[in-house]
Amino acid sequence: MSQLSAGTFALLTAWGTLTGMDLVTFPQGLLSRPLIACAGAGLILGDIQTGLVVGVLLELFALDVLPVGASRYPDYGPGAVGAVVLTTGGPWEERLGIAALFALVLAVVGGWSLIWLRKSNGRMIHARAAGLAAGDPGTMTSIQLRGLAGDMIRSAGLTAVALLLAQAAQPYLPAGPRFALVTAAAIGAGVAAASGGAVRSAGRGPRLRWLVVGTGISLIAAVLT
Amino acid sequence: MTGGFLRALWRLTSVQGAWNYERMTGVGMGHAAEPLLEDLKSVDPVRYAEASVRAAEYFNSHPYLAGLALGALTRAEYDLVPGAQISRLRTALTSPLGALGDRLFWAGVVPAAMGVALLGVVAGHGLATIVAVLLLYNGLRVGTGIWALKTGLAHGMKVGNAIGDSWLPRVATPAGLVAGLVVGLAVPLAADWLLAPQGLEAMGVTVVTLLAGLGAAWRLGPRITAVKFGLVAIGLALILAWGLP
Repeated sequence: MSQLSAGTFALLTAWGTLTGMDLVTFPQGLLSRPLIACAGAGLILGDIQTGLVVGVLLELFALDVLPVGASRYPDYGPGAVGAVVLTTGGPWEERLGIAALFALVLAVVGGWSLIWLRKSNGRMIHARAAGLAAGDPGTMTSIQLRGLAGDMIRSAGLTAVALLLAQAAQPYLPAGPRFALVTAAAIGAGVAAASGGAVRSAGRGPRLRWLVVGTGISLIAAVLT
Repeated sequence: MTGGFLRALWRLTSVQGAWNYERMTGVGMGHAAEPLLEDLKSVDPVRYAEASVRAAEYFNSHPYLAGLALGALTRAEYDLVPGAQISRLRTALTSPLGALGDRLFWAGVVPAAMGVALLGVVAGHGLATIVAVLLLYNGLRVGTGIWALKTGLAHGMKVGNAIGDSWLPRVATPAGLVAGLVVGLAVPLAADWLLAPQGLEAMGVTVVTLLAGLGAAWRLGPRITAVKFGLVAIGLALILAWGLP
């Protein structure tokens, strides 16, 4: 694909920002899931199929993660948007593995940036301790809005970096059928991640039996079709 | 208090907006409580000031269920329950609301929804399924938020009993079972869909990587995360592919 136009870049940045914010602050409505983030990026780029392919693979990795409370978890959204840009314009069979590696690195960076934001919010609260101790609603609104703005800046920055890196790297992506093996390894890693997460969530109770039944039906369907 | 309901509901959608390691969602709760406490300001300004301080203290729960606590604590302020008792209720609600919400949504509804979306993509109806899943999920999320805030406001200090008697604890287990089934259905079919255009050699690499991943998870447990394994496996494959003639 050629360089992104300014309008497309802006739209992708806005979408990536929303997916990044959705993970923790607002609105927490599934937009941060890689499949949704990638489908949106594919729509913006006019290449929904590539968006879905990248999204399906990254969603397998994300199925391993429960975004529980104070734990550290990867932020897939912005990197997933960049990964779609990286994959477009060439055979996805050769590019998908490299795009997944790219998205996973950015997901880790995104996770670190969340820790930084949480500590920054803590410092902001310390600085406004007097207002909170007085129960001042203005102080609470100010902290809340600054926290949201901080996450918006974090997500926008991460998306912009992802898009710039994807655009810069795209012309130099290695090509050839042997890179389909990288894609194959990425699919295997994704299935391992999703299966590991599913088994861990299932424990040893009835959910494990339902998981086994679903997997069995699916494997039969995959063989028959 | 009723005039502020919608504003409080809206503010609850970003209750984690200033999440931090000290008060966690405390400030978000205080921000959301403010429209509900407005009526108290004219009636009892001293109580209002105390209630505002309490509203922003440490709190953490599942974000979708925070309304239960917000409503109950606000109602308790209007009922002039002693402050120490309100703080105890706040602390007591933290773990159950977190655990219930995590079980129902993060470990149940979310994986089930994404499993359905994956199945839709594999079946060739990707975009339509994704839109439907987004609408249904967010409908459920908004509905739960409204119910939570209303229930909290209606029951005040007795919210624990109201939660216990409600649909919430009853649906968490079935949601988990459905998630297990749907994820079990979706993962192999998604892999098959991605591998369809690839040759036998690629399929072999996928199987070897999958077995290595499961083996690593079995041997190393939580020390190896999906992302760590993915980075190592794809990185190694990339180095090997570069070296191939």
